[in-house]
Amino acid sequence: MATSASASSMKRVSLAPAEEQVATPRVITRGITRRQALAAALATGVGVGAIRLIGASMQQIATTRTASAGGWISPLGSESAKLMHLLRRTSFGYTPSQLEAALSDGYDKTVDRLVETKPVEPPALAAAASPGGRFAITEVQQWWIDHMLNTSNPFAERITLFWHGHFTSDYRKVADNTFMYWQNLSWRRMAMTNLRSMLMEVTTDPAMLRYLDLATSTGANPNENYSRELMELFTMGAGNFSEDDVRESAKALAGWQLPQPDSFATSQGNRRLPVYTTQKTGVFNQRRAYRGSITYLGKTGPLDTQGVIDRILAQPATANLIATKVAQHFVTARPSASYVTGLADTFRRSKYDMKTLMHSVFTSSEFASDANYRGLVKSPAEFMLGASRALGTNSLGKLIAGSGSGMGQTLFDPPDVNGWPNNESWISSNTVVERVNFVTAAMTQSKAVLPSASDAVHVQLDGVLSSQTATLLNQAADDRARWFITLASPEFQLK
Amino acid sequence: MKKEVGINQLKRRDFLKAGLVFGAGASGLAAGYAAVPDAFARAVYAAKKEGAGNDNILVMIQLAGGNDGLRTLVPLADPTLHDLRPKLAGPMVSQALPINSQYGLNHNLGGIKGLWDKGKVAIVQGVGYPNPTFSHFESIRIWETGDPTRRQVDGWLGRTLATSYDSNGHPLTGCACGATNAPGALRDLQATLTVIQNQKTFGFTGGGEVEAAVGALYKGTPGIYGALFDTAIATATETMATLRTSASTYQPMADYTDNVKLVYSSKNQLAAALQLAAELIVTGTGVKLLHVTLGGFDTHYTELNRHDDLMGYLDSAVSAFYKDLAAHNMADKVLIATWSEFGRRPKENASGGTDHGAAAPLLLIGNPVHGGLFGSEPSLTNLDSTGNLKYSVDFRSVYQEILSGHLGADAQTILGASFDRVSFLKAPVAV
Repeated sequence: MATSASASSMKRVSLAPAEEQVATPRVITRGITRRQALAAALATGVGVGAIRLIGASMQQIATTRTASAGGWISPLGSESAKLMHLLRRTSFGYTPSQLEAALSDGYDKTVDRLVETKPVEPPALAAAASPGGRFAITEVQQWWIDHMLNTSNPFAERITLFWHGHFTSDYRKVADNTFMYWQNLSWRRMAMTNLRSMLMEVTTDPAMLRYLDLATSTGANPNENYSRELMELFTMGAGNFSEDDVRESAKALAGWQLPQPDSFATSQGNRRLPVYTTQKTGVFNQRRAYRGSITYLGKTGPLDTQGVIDRILAQPATANLIATKVAQHFVTARPSASYVTGLADTFRRSKYDMKTLMHSVFTSSEFASDANYRGLVKSPAEFMLGASRALGTNSLGKLIAGSGSGMGQTLFDPPDVNGWPNNESWISSNTVVERVNFVTAAMTQSKAVLPSASDAVHVQLDGVLSSQTATLLNQAADDRARWFITLASPEFQLK
Repeated sequence: MKKEVGINQLKRRDFLKAGLVFGAGASGLAAGYAAVPDAFARAVYAAKKEGAGNDNILVMIQLAGGNDGLRTLVPLADPTLHDLRPKLAGPMVSQALPINSQYGLNHNLGGIKGLWDKGKVAIVQGVGYPNPTFSHFESIRIWETGDPTRRQVDGWLGRTLATSYDSNGHPLTGCACGATNAPGALRDLQATLTVIQNQKTFGFTGGGEVEAAVGALYKGTPGIYGALFDTAIATATETMATLRTSASTYQPMADYTDNVKLVYSSKNQLAAALQLAAELIVTGTGVKLLHVTLGGFDTHYTELNRHDDLMGYLDSAVSAFYKDLAAHNMADKVLIATWSEFGRRPKENASGGTDHGAAAPLLLIGNPVHGGLFGSEPSLTNLDSTGNLKYSVDFRSVYQEILSGHLGADAQTILGASFDRVSFLKAPVAV
């Protein structure tokens, strides 16, 4: 085990002390055992590792402060740090000019802009006209990542990514990449509307009709897959419905089919493949529907798809689940029950308006509380796009599209119907190594001139560093080494 | 001699103090994971045992999505099967590989049938638990934690690592092969484990220099994720050091090539994961508990070909793995066991598939196994109120036999209770 990095081992990485090196900060753990250090920290209530940089110069890295028990020193008392915190959690990092724009608008106006700005439509993907949706999924992946890199409204992509993990679909089972492409377009357009119309959109989305088998379900012989996951994962959560409810809503939802193609083409193997020239949604076939009374969530009578959705929306558990998931994604891994209840109440009262919910999240005191500073782990997409933006390049789309897998996130290929887990689940021996390797590859492949690394400590890391990161930055020989340390640091993995 | 307190234990204490629980992310939300453990109720510094009673090895294969037990071990002579599954039953019965007059293995399980004929396969029928949930995520959690009441947070293998092995400084004691994230079964706040997706690419680009820099960077990291990050990097660098040695001495002695076309993948990922497992085992890395996953078993639609392909995948990977272990004289040490969150509904649906079910058979494979059928046959006519097969063997009975009989671990401590025995081991080491 590499217990301590000796000075000699660091020299080999060209992180050697620069000639003009200032005094190394005193690292409390050096020279005493970790047990002693920890015992001291626990006894006095101070941590052993966090440093807050004051001022704007690398020369001042040596200034240290102790933190409250083991935590990062929150800079969120300052408006600029609060804005960087907001942008980190709502976009994929930021360029200096994007940060400047936010600073001149101020926090509240920036929140309004995030929530109110319409999404930018990505350029059309030519391959989507391929018969049968038979083209490589990597085309869709890279198309979306390029749009994330280039759009003027990155929040629209962040919230689309949130829904991509929530109302998720897997290209392998969908087996038609045109449908996957359409789903991405639909999720972007609906992302900040209201849950009632979104649920209808999700239910009749062609990729979803395939993914959770609603397209092949009939009233006479219903398939339970969509019915169950609509309640368990998309809206109410486990424990809030019965197995009878699953069976009954499976009947009520049956009848949806894939849209009719505009034409057909013949494949090389002489198979008829559908060709779609415009985006479509599923169509309802009354002959496949269930005729009869349905007892669902406590009421009996005729019930159609809109009826199922409305009954789901009448359950308090639905707003609670969405609020919990939004909070875990944007605020804290462990939101308090009272915080979730407050958000859920606001969401319900607004008739499930996403703008109201997200506005309420970003302006809540919890969002920028000191306790929640660096309280979330960046997803692989956020980390990679953020690193790319920090390096001032938007030409790494291909590298980014190909690098998510080892970090546990391949777009359009979720691990299961529950989408991607978040926060601590992103951290394993495999994923952390892959993140470091991405930094190496990105710095090798980027053709942009490296921005100033000393600014990066403040612009990217808020000037809040662990003593180890500070020490290594201080000893780094040049800007390349400083950039590597900055982007590979634990600080940069967090938001 | 007084035992050194390892760096990982200290970090884990920080970690506990911060009140963060493994596995309580979005899937935790869905599965209703407990919020915060009582950090100080745990004896973090409790002396660890020097190791379990022997050097046996366990490989758990997760068949994720809910494996159709009726298409794995096919009831050949039950006419009800054809009533319940008009589309699916015909070919699965006619093609099955009979193991007696009543049952046959799926026709793509030819390699495993060969092992059955040699007495190296035990099949426990009707495995489940009371009041089954039909949620993937709740049921996965129940199987991972070994707790149908859903109070337990740590995984049953994670608890085994923590109570029975000194994984401190030996990150390869528990290993998830072919994965990017730790499976719930291996998680425990006090256990170290490695996650390796692919050993060929597991390492730092830039080699030792980067490794040294990153090793220095990830130490004493503050915050609730600090210990997790630091442990991940420390574990990774230790594992790389071990793999550097093992890669140079391992020669596969069996054929892992993919000769089955799978719907979900163009390559047999299970075979790749098991080959990595074989490498870790035969090169003496100290690995004890391994976990690999084959996904795609949620066969709600067109199950016929899809499930056959998955069976073929399982069969070719397990057969090659067994041959490799045998050729390296390690087969006596290794028990292979399958698990899945549930079986599937006996009655098929309109999509030519089956919905979520309950009880299903488990396969136990290897030289330590006493071959044969265990448990009792689930009845196709006496289904439960949801139309599913009733269980006859609690899954924790199987865990108990593995823990005490194969690993020599204290099953009662790990599982919190004792269960009826299922005697599928030839020579159980302790009971």
